[in-house]
Amino acid sequence: MTNTVTEESMVTPSQPLAYTYAAGIAIVAFLVGAGIAALVASNLAMTLLTQAVITGLLATGVGFLIRQNGMVSFGHAAFYGIACYAIALAMRHGIVRAELAIVLALVVPTAIAFFLGLVIVRIPGVAFSMLTLAVGQAFYEFAMKARNVTGGEDGFSVKLPSTIFGIKTAIFQNPHTMFVVSWGVFVVIVLFLTMVATSPFGRLTAAIRENEERSRFIGYETVLPRVLVLTLSALVTAVAGVLFTLYNTFVSPDVLHWSLSGSALIMAIIGGPRLIWGPGFGAIIYFFAKDIAGDISEHWQAIIGLILIIVMVLLPTGLGGTLAGLLRRRVGYG
Amino acid sequence: MAENYAIEGIDLTRSFSGFFALNGVSIAVPRGEIRGLIGPNGAGKSTLIDVLSGRAARWSGRVKMFGEDISAMSAQQRRRSGVARSFQRTNIFPDLTVLDQLEIAARAAEIPNVDEIMSELTLTALAHKRATDTSYGDQRRLDLALALIGRPKVLLLDEPAAGLSIKESLDLAHNLRDLAARWGVTVLLVEHDMEVVFSICDRITVLHLGNILAEGTPAEIREIPEVVTAYLGSTV
Repeated sequence: MTNTVTEESMVTPSQPLAYTYAAGIAIVAFLVGAGIAALVASNLAMTLLTQAVITGLLATGVGFLIRQNGMVSFGHAAFYGIACYAIALAMRHGIVRAELAIVLALVVPTAIAFFLGLVIVRIPGVAFSMLTLAVGQAFYEFAMKARNVTGGEDGFSVKLPSTIFGIKTAIFQNPHTMFVVSWGVFVVIVLFLTMVATSPFGRLTAAIRENEERSRFIGYETVLPRVLVLTLSALVTAVAGVLFTLYNTFVSPDVLHWSLSGSALIMAIIGGPRLIWGPGFGAIIYFFAKDIAGDISEHWQAIIGLILIIVMVLLPTGLGGTLAGLLRRRVGYG
Repeated sequence: MAENYAIEGIDLTRSFSGFFALNGVSIAVPRGEIRGLIGPNGAGKSTLIDVLSGRAARWSGRVKMFGEDISAMSAQQRRRSGVARSFQRTNIFPDLTVLDQLEIAARAAEIPNVDEIMSELTLTALAHKRATDTSYGDQRRLDLALALIGRPKVLLLDEPAAGLSIKESLDLAHNLRDLAARWGVTVLLVEHDMEVVFSICDRITVLHLGNILAEGTPAEIREIPEVVTAYLGSTV
């Protein structure tokens, strides 16, 4: 769209240039991650980081839904867990090859989110959150009760072939190499979501989040864009589920439990859901805080709760948002 | 000829728990006219705007635009067909910049840029400000700009001058009058500020308890004793 209104608009970077900057930052971020994997020898630290990045992707899905739709989900573990079980069951019963199982693990939860979204995105506020909780717990209960299919509460191990997409499976099970893989996926997804959020579609969904009624009265259908945001957020969550299964090679109903959705929400709030990378940042803080708190006391949840309260009261834009704000002031940008 | 009426409401009825907000109201606004809609609180003015714009649910009757029945159309479809509206309370996107929200509206209206509307409503200097950081008067103009973008055929305005000072109200009114004339927009205006209504409207319809009490030019309306007694008093 042409824009010739003010001098300020003339110095605003054009969108392709902004994408180039973002791509540059993404490359640097990836190299930093690869550097960390090369420099940190501790398996424990790398395991923590790998878990944090994978769960950070789940939190990124939750955060994207908050950012673009203003909707809080308590049921995103369903999309994560369905992806886990899709691979695990396909491998257990030898239904399809691992590569196709991964594709299914991405498609099935995304499709469920789309069709579910056609109904639930129309429901506002807390009712939406409660519906996602109910749907998520329904999948959890099914996994618990259908012992013949899912192994019930005990779960089961996932047998993977020696290579997937030509990549040795061992790479996915070593915390150092898996960190690089997960971090690379995280960086690409954050870049992609940034492009979506700054595209005309992203600006439209932000407008619908701000004022749905006005959006309708300037001529937009408002349900489908919100459904697509939910779908995209479920896809990101499903990617996290795939990475988790490749890394962990074990699934149990815990991957569908509401407490996982709750943890992802806490990570998103700590990191700052208004930033695409905020929830991932929050996940890293959450995992390390949990580890340190676990050493101090068995009641580590209380310490995490305290951190959450402090962030919500003192830093409403989250730690990531506060950092970004400080950085902007420092370099005089924004 | 029905096609000469830009917007028509035929036998419109809407009730809430037995109370008739609209009781078989019929109204027809000819192309290019600015029609004022006045009446005391609870007369059914906003309900009429809601029914005509597609916001209201559960009503009966028919709504036509230039003779075409648009009763079954959703609010979005009516907007795309050329029926735009503003709201009693400022209804903008508070966290977006003025430019961002106008561009989003422009994309829906399929117009290439927002320079014209920003210039017409003196919003150009505010382009990069978040709407919430602008004054109330600016927000009302932005609200009007969101409704006017894409040059709608029919503009339904629900108290556009509410909360503005006398000078701001009159400036907005004359700005509106000028734009409507140049762009050929038909306007149905709900407004409590009688100075605004009587200074820019070609004709006025008076609603009372869901029924039309009177209709005529401003001069004719001033002469109707029931209207003066029930609503105008000594204000005009």
